[in-house]
Amino acid sequence: MVAFTVDQIRGLMDKTTNVRNMSVIAHVDHGKSTLTDSLVQRAGIISAAKAGEARFTDTRKDEQERGITIKSTAISLYAEMSDEDVKEIKQKTDGNSFLINLIDSPGHVDFSSEVTAALRVTDGALVVVDCVEGVCVQTETVLRQSLAERIKPVVIINKVDRALLELQVTKEDLYQSFSRTVESVNVIISTYSDKTLGDVQVYPDRGTVAFGSGLHGWAFTVRQFAHRYSKKFGVDGNKMMERLWGDSYFNPKTKKWSNKDKDADGKALERAFNMFVLDPIFRLFSAIMNFKKDQIPVLLEKLEIVLKGDEKDLEGKALLKVVMRKFLPAADALMEMIVLHLPSPVTAQNYRAETLYEGPADDASCIAIKNCDPKADLMLYISKMVPTSDKGRFYAFGRVFAGTVKSGQKVRIQGPNYVPGKKEDLFLKAVQRVVLMMGRFVEPIDDCPAGNIVGIVGIDQFLLKSGTITTNEASHNMKVMKFSVSPVVEVAVEVKNASDLPKLVEGLKRLSKSDPCVLTRMSESGEHIVAGTGELHLEICLQDLENDHAGIPLKISPPVVAYRETVEAESSMVALSKSPNKHNRLYVKAEPIDEEVSLAIESGKISPREDFKVRARLMADEFGWDVTDARKIWCFGPDGNGPNLVVDQTKAVQYLSEIKDSVVAAFQWATKEGPIFGENMRSVRINMLDVTLHADAIHRGGGQIIPTMRRVTYAAVLLAEPRIQEPVFLVEIQCPENAIGGIYSVLNKKRGQVISEEQRPGTPLFTVKAYLPVNESFGFSGDLRQATGGQAFPQMVFDHWATMTGDPTDPTSKSGEIVTAARKRHGLKENVPGYEEYYDKL
Amino acid sequence: MTQAAAPSLSTAQDESTFEFDKVTATTRSRPYFGPIFSNQDANEIDLNELIAKVKDYYSIAKVIDFLKQKNEEGRFKYKAITLQFADKLISDSAIIVQLLQEGLKENQSKNAVDGKCCSSCSNGKNKHLQEQKVWILADTSYSPCCIDEVAAEHVASDLVIHFGDACLNKIEKLSAAYVFGKPYLDHKAFVNFFEKTYKDVNTRVCLMADAPYTHHLSTLYQFLKPKYENLVYADIDYSHSIVIDANSQEREISKFVKISNRLIYGLNEEDLKKFNENENFFQEYELFHINLPESPRLLELSTKFSTITCYDSLTGGTFQGPYPSLMKRYRYMHIARTAGTIGILVNTLSLSNTKQILNTVASWIKEAGKKHYMFVVGKPNVAKLANFETIDIWCVLGCGQSGIIIDNVGDYYKPIITPYELQVALKPEVSWSGKWVVDFKEVMSLDAQEKAEAMAMAMELESETGATNTDDTDYKNDEPEFDSVTGKYVSTSRPLRRIIQHLEIDSPQADLERNGNENETTQLVKKFSGSVAIKGTVSTSAISLQNRTWTGLGSDFKNDEDDENDIDQEGAIVQEGRGGVARSYNLNRQAYT
Repeated sequence: MVAFTVDQIRGLMDKTTNVRNMSVIAHVDHGKSTLTDSLVQRAGIISAAKAGEARFTDTRKDEQERGITIKSTAISLYAEMSDEDVKEIKQKTDGNSFLINLIDSPGHVDFSSEVTAALRVTDGALVVVDCVEGVCVQTETVLRQSLAERIKPVVIINKVDRALLELQVTKEDLYQSFSRTVESVNVIISTYSDKTLGDVQVYPDRGTVAFGSGLHGWAFTVRQFAHRYSKKFGVDGNKMMERLWGDSYFNPKTKKWSNKDKDADGKALERAFNMFVLDPIFRLFSAIMNFKKDQIPVLLEKLEIVLKGDEKDLEGKALLKVVMRKFLPAADALMEMIVLHLPSPVTAQNYRAETLYEGPADDASCIAIKNCDPKADLMLYISKMVPTSDKGRFYAFGRVFAGTVKSGQKVRIQGPNYVPGKKEDLFLKAVQRVVLMMGRFVEPIDDCPAGNIVGIVGIDQFLLKSGTITTNEASHNMKVMKFSVSPVVEVAVEVKNASDLPKLVEGLKRLSKSDPCVLTRMSESGEHIVAGTGELHLEICLQDLENDHAGIPLKISPPVVAYRETVEAESSMVALSKSPNKHNRLYVKAEPIDEEVSLAIESGKISPREDFKVRARLMADEFGWDVTDARKIWCFGPDGNGPNLVVDQTKAVQYLSEIKDSVVAAFQWATKEGPIFGENMRSVRINMLDVTLHADAIHRGGGQIIPTMRRVTYAAVLLAEPRIQEPVFLVEIQCPENAIGGIYSVLNKKRGQVISEEQRPGTPLFTVKAYLPVNESFGFSGDLRQATGGQAFPQMVFDHWATMTGDPTDPTSKSGEIVTAARKRHGLKENVPGYEEYYDKL
Repeated sequence: MTQAAAPSLSTAQDESTFEFDKVTATTRSRPYFGPIFSNQDANEIDLNELIAKVKDYYSIAKVIDFLKQKNEEGRFKYKAITLQFADKLISDSAIIVQLLQEGLKENQSKNAVDGKCCSSCSNGKNKHLQEQKVWILADTSYSPCCIDEVAAEHVASDLVIHFGDACLNKIEKLSAAYVFGKPYLDHKAFVNFFEKTYKDVNTRVCLMADAPYTHHLSTLYQFLKPKYENLVYADIDYSHSIVIDANSQEREISKFVKISNRLIYGLNEEDLKKFNENENFFQEYELFHINLPESPRLLELSTKFSTITCYDSLTGGTFQGPYPSLMKRYRYMHIARTAGTIGILVNTLSLSNTKQILNTVASWIKEAGKKHYMFVVGKPNVAKLANFETIDIWCVLGCGQSGIIIDNVGDYYKPIITPYELQVALKPEVSWSGKWVVDFKEVMSLDAQEKAEAMAMAMELESETGATNTDDTDYKNDEPEFDSVTGKYVSTSRPLRRIIQHLEIDSPQADLERNGNENETTQLVKKFSGSVAIKGTVSTSAISLQNRTWTGLGSDFKNDEDDENDIDQEGAIVQEGRGGVARSYNLNRQAYT
């Protein structure tokens, strides 16, 4: 146990090369928080006895009650490494002491946005995988996200005790299971990995995979065993590591290594990993769990484990826990892996700078980020807001990427809409206090240099969720985080007493601050809407809203789904609208945009902020767009960045550039409220084919063009086989075989579509993956529980938008029903207007 | 090198492009005269029959009697008479004028006889007496229910006679008389429909109608009251305006209460007491309205009654939506909270108190740190309002019956709210009462009341804490505001305050003063690194102009030429074009001179 003080940590912050910022990510219930506890135990905040139960990073009451993590929590840890270990670090280091800033993130898919926010401020990730369940849907999601952010992963295969105690597997089975898990992790990594990051696949024989049990507090890496044995055998540690994994066998008779599983006589040889690594563990387990009291002391002596007085009296699981914790302390293995294999800010920012910064790569701020320079101008990214004990106030939580942030320092606070040189979303304010955030506690510090994670007091009222803080006037924003999940489940909230209204509005503001992903807005018909990623997310948000942020009783509507409007074909004819004065005409056609392009726009790969030439090249090379078309994209919509485009295909139209602003404004308006039922449009491309404009500027002003452009967009969409898109969840259900029938029947009832069903090798568990429309997902968990006797628990994550079959303008179709109901709710005429409403005859 | 050819315009523009659409003549049916007139072609109706009907419908005889009035000096009280018609009645105008002229001529000839008898009168004076002229106002400048003072003043009119449905709102200067007309209503069908709608005879129902149909109500009331005990009806408040051929004499003398611009009859003593105690008394009542009121009126009524059924007097059914909804207004109120620039849209010039409310609204906006611009655009429409892209939200000053634009379909680019809603929106704390006040006077009195309360609060605070904490408010001023409509922070909601703050930061005070005296008079737009001020005040419209991508001739070349951009291109020689305003370019003028 290392007692550590704030001052010690502050001292370490300056040695940026010895800092590790990392997040712990995994599927729900794979044991992140428990593992984190064993690290916290090592750093000396909570006593060793409590590690394994306390869930130190679950600070909220409901987190403790439900046993799931909801908010990500940061803690700083202090570690001291031996000289021997330090020597093996392949990046620049300075001394033996290390500072680890760790963020424990939620595993439930509904809270993925918290993971995104955590990943942004860290450079490495500890991916926790359940040894029995293997790689699950959320494991893949978070891995993909971390790779997109250029974050290096290391893996721990957790809950090995379950495999040993519950499944009673053999050594070779366990090895196979390990190796399969590692393989499936590597498959994901190689699919999504960024070239600049180099080879980030994980290898047990290089020490980037650990095995252990968070609950029992033990873990090991192959490297640890290799070092133990290297002395015994007199072999180099690294060589030993390679021998302890994979197809490498030791012949005890000849004392020779071989890569064949049979010796010269054809007798089976035991795999080195099983023999040297698993064997002692298996023996300990069997001795202790089978109460072979005589064997235990012998084994302990052999393994150099010394028990203290009362520990000797323990039996069974309790004894196993103590013994294993002494034999292979989890913190040692993890710390070693983190310090040795995760990059320091200096290393990481060098390759992350360009993905983090919106401005040009040769910009002073970008260079400062690249060098992680504490003496440069400040660049700090606020990734989320953490509520303080003072109601309505928040700590702005983020990472210093360059410069040093100090208490009392005057800074520029740049919101997400800030554009360099403009005044919008820019505030000049002083930082009140800088704090270190550690689980439930915050500790004030004077300043914090580049490369570290901090909390800032006194700037929360200027930023809603995230933002950039800088001292350089020329600095651009840091890139806005893109979430892998979308808030597609909505409810309308209403106050019970009209006098509580101000509290509701204030509460909604606080709610949207406190959660990176929740959306609060007002519907066309004047209802306050709260949108979350799933039922659980919404439930937590509404609970917070009712009890905490607003503190008033609320009426909550049943959940509804956000839809999108789209087109399926090119407009059947050229849509024409005349301006109110009949002197201007717009001729356009609508056509669908490929799903890949829409996704690229939504993920920020194709961005309206980018230089149009670069963008056009990318669109031409990767998405097969015509370069001239791609260059002539006038705007994105809605909100200037959505997946709908206006492409100028006119030829030599006089005054055309004069009406561009009006066209852009109208397109934002039209795509925000589509013609079918006022929802956002998606994947609609409007081609401006021709424009006739009046020769006098006064007759082609905004007043003439804006309403006309909106009308013609509507007409073109209605002519192009309009459809509606509904959000679809990817559902993953793990269950025993006998529950599968129940799952299928529930899925069938709910318009679900099974995409895969696999048995996890070595276990009786089946994994069923299916697509399920979000609209049908309400109450799905309950139905499933009922149909399977509580054996199946689904994980649902937003996957894609699916175009619904059926014409939404026909009220008898399924989509038509949805449209009619929504139109009624919004106080519109029940029937979707025909294109004639917006189309003018020549 | 061949000579560069002029680019061919993509679409040929010939004369027809710029011609206005031609209106094809239509014959109008006059369903309000009764069933025989509703379906027939106007041509088939016997003209004399029609004239007789018009005479009767508009009580022309009584109008003439009214016009015969003389003042103390024995002259005609009204000499220049203008007739204003609701749009759908304009087809009757010619007949009415003819009838009036005939009537007045008769009158004048009588006068002439009188004149001869009276030796004291000179010929000239006689002539003067005879001059009673009648004009038709072809189109109303603002809302059709209000007296159009502006148009009437063009002929220096001293009396406006308003035909058709009217709001009876007080106006500033002119005298006015109203003729509602006596439209036909099938009583039997009405009673049938009413009984079908309200099966429970104990339902509390209020009968109401637009002004012309109101004269049926007392009859209907008397017919239905025995069956429906809790029935009440609304009559027009005749006390403030001259209504020709008002059926006020038929009214039984009973107690009434006032709601909106109607008087409600038929309440018993107990209910009267209840009404005095509870202003939301009529929330218990269902409203049965003959004909669909204009949107603003419908909205106002919907806030006062629990439900509304609108009976279509022509088809005998109900009207289909979309109805205006108060929740939409709630949304607009929230939009107004974070709007930076507010356009005050003047949609009346005749209503009394217009000027006061205009000044009041402007002062509210200024106090809230927002920018306002004032607009008078004649009858507002989508295109006119969309011309002003800077405006985030419009505040319309207009008559409560039809002068307020209620955008049910969502055609307008930016939402339009009323002064009352703006007042609610500009309060520091969100509030919503569910009321909808359209009367200017009431809005202003609410404002005064509020101010008094705020003052009292401030005083109280001051006495408690010793001094008001000015530092804190200064600090809060530039905080971004949470927009509950979009769920985002908005930093542009108080442009006046924000920019003043930036001015202080960006330019030293001394510099500002130096420039202030010398340059500002000649310099139209003063730039402060991105924000703009004209003559010391902030111009949000200048800011939005700066944000436009098209900044004038030549600016489009930058976008068009991609790679060859660096190469200097030689432009064409500048030629003098035409100048002047669109109505008459100086080019044409030169041709004429």
